[in-house]
Amino acid sequence: MNVSNTMHARTGVAAGEHSAKPRFSSDLPQLWIGIALIAVTGLAPSLIGNSYWVHTFHLVNIYIAAAVFQNFLFVDAGQKSFGQGVILGIGAYVTAIAFGLHGLPFAVASLLGLGAAVLGGLLFALPALRVQYFHLGFVTLSAAIVFPQLLMSLDRWTNGINGISVQLPWAHFEQFLGFSTLTLLVTLWPMAALAIHYLLRRSRLGRQMRVAAASPEAARTLGIKPGLMRFTAFIIAAIGTGICGILYLPATGYVSPQGFNVELSFVFFFAVVVGGRGQMLGPIIGIWIVFILPNIALAQFVEYRLLMYGVLTLAAIMLFPDGIVGSIERWRVKRGVAGRGEQAFRVDSFLEGLEGAQERKPSDEVVVEVKGGTKRFGAVVAVDNVDLKIRKGEIHGLIGANGSGKTSLLNILSGLSRLNEGSFMINGRNCTRMPADRIASMLGRTFQTPRIFPQFSLWENLKLGLDARTVQPTPEILRLASALESEFDNDSAELLSHGQRRLVEVMRALLKEATVVLFDEPAAGLSSSERENFAKLIRFLSRRMHKTVILVEHDLDLVWGIADRITVMEQGRVVASGDPANMATDPAVQHMFIGGRHA
Amino acid sequence: MLSEIFIIAVRGIAIGSIFALIAMSFNVTFGATRILNFAQGNLLIMGGFFAFFLANGVGLGWWLLMLLAAGSLIALFSAFQGWITLIPLRSSVEQDSWIISTVAVSVILGALMLITQGPFAYSVQSVVPPFRILGVRTPGAYALAIGAMVFWFIALRLFMTRTFVGLAISALSQDFDAARAAGLPVRRLQLVSFAISGLIVGTAGFLVAPVIAISPDAALRYVLNGFVAVVVGGLGSNLGTLIGGPLVGVVMMLTAYQIGGAYQDMASLLILVTILMVRPQGLFGRTSARQV
Repeated sequence: MNVSNTMHARTGVAAGEHSAKPRFSSDLPQLWIGIALIAVTGLAPSLIGNSYWVHTFHLVNIYIAAAVFQNFLFVDAGQKSFGQGVILGIGAYVTAIAFGLHGLPFAVASLLGLGAAVLGGLLFALPALRVQYFHLGFVTLSAAIVFPQLLMSLDRWTNGINGISVQLPWAHFEQFLGFSTLTLLVTLWPMAALAIHYLLRRSRLGRQMRVAAASPEAARTLGIKPGLMRFTAFIIAAIGTGICGILYLPATGYVSPQGFNVELSFVFFFAVVVGGRGQMLGPIIGIWIVFILPNIALAQFVEYRLLMYGVLTLAAIMLFPDGIVGSIERWRVKRGVAGRGEQAFRVDSFLEGLEGAQERKPSDEVVVEVKGGTKRFGAVVAVDNVDLKIRKGEIHGLIGANGSGKTSLLNILSGLSRLNEGSFMINGRNCTRMPADRIASMLGRTFQTPRIFPQFSLWENLKLGLDARTVQPTPEILRLASALESEFDNDSAELLSHGQRRLVEVMRALLKEATVVLFDEPAAGLSSSERENFAKLIRFLSRRMHKTVILVEHDLDLVWGIADRITVMEQGRVVASGDPANMATDPAVQHMFIGGRHA
Repeated sequence: MLSEIFIIAVRGIAIGSIFALIAMSFNVTFGATRILNFAQGNLLIMGGFFAFFLANGVGLGWWLLMLLAAGSLIALFSAFQGWITLIPLRSSVEQDSWIISTVAVSVILGALMLITQGPFAYSVQSVVPPFRILGVRTPGAYALAIGAMVFWFIALRLFMTRTFVGLAISALSQDFDAARAAGLPVRRLQLVSFAISGLIVGTAGFLVAPVIAISPDAALRYVLNGFVAVVVGGLGSNLGTLIGGPLVGVVMMLTAYQIGGAYQDMASLLILVTILMVRPQGLFGRTSARQV
């Protein structure tokens, strides 16, 4: 569908031009196609006047909206929930109890239903603050089992197995062209759900959620609290799914425990997998296949329905793990994106704008200070009573054999792990017990394996640095950002070489306000020309942008070439520290040079 | 009153032993593959069906033979399922497709049982006669359940520390990359771990068939309670399951006695949420160094 659109656009312009780049993300075209599909299936049955299909698509479109929120939760927030049917059920049931059994006005009952759905979401969201991954899968599945049991046994409030019938004549009142109020509502809500999902993705919150889902520790160094992101995602999904629950009531006129058993939650989950995880159109195609197909094609064989769900899903995950829409999308991206080789990501030209600043020497002011730092993992002492002072604007090399405690020290400085004894300060503030997401405003870092997120465009990967800022960027940073945006907005980060990925991480750290930047073995895997460029970039950071650089590196030539001072670690201890000239003759360092200048 | 407490304790510990057995079977695959098989409850029920169809009211010799047959066939099936589950993990960066595939297999198995056997709960005659402790008549299968828990705990411990394959699987659970670099046949060991976990729940299902509801519906409830047991004890700790399983079992029995049987699963959900909030690593879980 959208494939032919972009294909057309591509052939229209000569290849190789910047303007001819295919869209990196097809979210927007998918959004419009999705809205069109929902409009057709939602409204056409009323125009034709087929009441069977009118009723069927009321339910289908409500389920599509619920699956959209499942999709958001599943992919954008990385949470596998098997309990979204419960949230929908709570919304429907509480509304039905308040309206049908206690005679409250429908608007009031709906608000109560929505509130209850959010409370139900809290049951999932609260554990999400502490744990992640499969744990929540079990919590949500467990809730899906318990919910219908509770509906049965709390019969004093729920009418038990008899369920609750409601009469809502206004919902079926015809507005125009044969469309009832209900038809309009259940057509508009899944459209709105899609739009909400799209807008969330474009927002800072949405980007930060996706980073937290992909790499929690990288997220924390970018100032994001992963637990809070998961919590927020569950609450957003609960609100959206709760509204589906409210609409369920006029659509069916009836609630009963059997309607909300674990099967319903499986439908939403499996629809997302089969349709295409993360694709805007995924939930629509998924619900059509998973829900409509078995319910209509196999209407007489109700017991085969579950089997169909299971088989479809297993087949999807084995044969086309991206789902139906995802497979089409992957094919489109493969055809459209050619690697740009060396040109894919160069930063030299962008830095020129920043070169107005004058060159400055490192000052004597201490910005990072570790005092008596000790870190143990069980019996292993990874960092042993370390004292370290790093001065403002200097490039500080940190060297030592594998396992000497360098990376452990970086993890402590960035807040990812905590000292058992001792303390450390950054910019005069005691950071010993500060969480990583707060340290992130003072300190940026790169990882041994660059944290590049293929689901984001190249520009969005860089923008994560801007997202992490707590203060407004300077005009120079803004200029740099807009230049980067116009160049890389439609580029994929997936095809970048290792060295380019490294550069992306450095640029991301540069867009943050952090004054201290940590590099964890940045030169590993870089070609010699990339190393040269990298050395230049580090000097630029230090001399022109006055950032303090801590460099963990095995390439001693590189370290001696650019470092202002060098610290040597061995078995968790600092064994020597000083300027490069003196350090070269230090006995503690000498043996590192034996057999080539690589430690 | 005293005898009521006693009944609750015995029943709770016996039912809890089943949860502990599922929990141990989780630990075996989790160590070797980082996978928790959501279909584990269906495998347990499958063991129950074996007992119903092939060993209902038979002599001890035949019963033992069928126990071995049920255990091996379910172990074989589990290894096959492991093979399927591991295929997508080989090529993809995304390492959690197992959640989807094992849930799908669980749904398929449940649906197949429902289609072929109907939604009814089957019951099986016990080969071990009921006995009396402190004057309370106790089903023989309760003793079998507790016995199976103790047996598998010891057997696993010996296997993991005394045999080459067991040591290799332990090595996988400690450092995957190092084990691979040392030339261990990782994939084959992982399939062995799946087979062992199938053997544990398969034999458990067969043994406890007289005291569980052999119905497709029960499968999900057992697997969830097994997970609660493993979370309470601490994921990866078999010692923890000896505490976690019976604890969950006793709380469920207490709930059934005090509030009502319909609230048992609710109680175990509350235990799960509480433990995850208060002590996510479980009672015996280890805190491990963060990998960056």
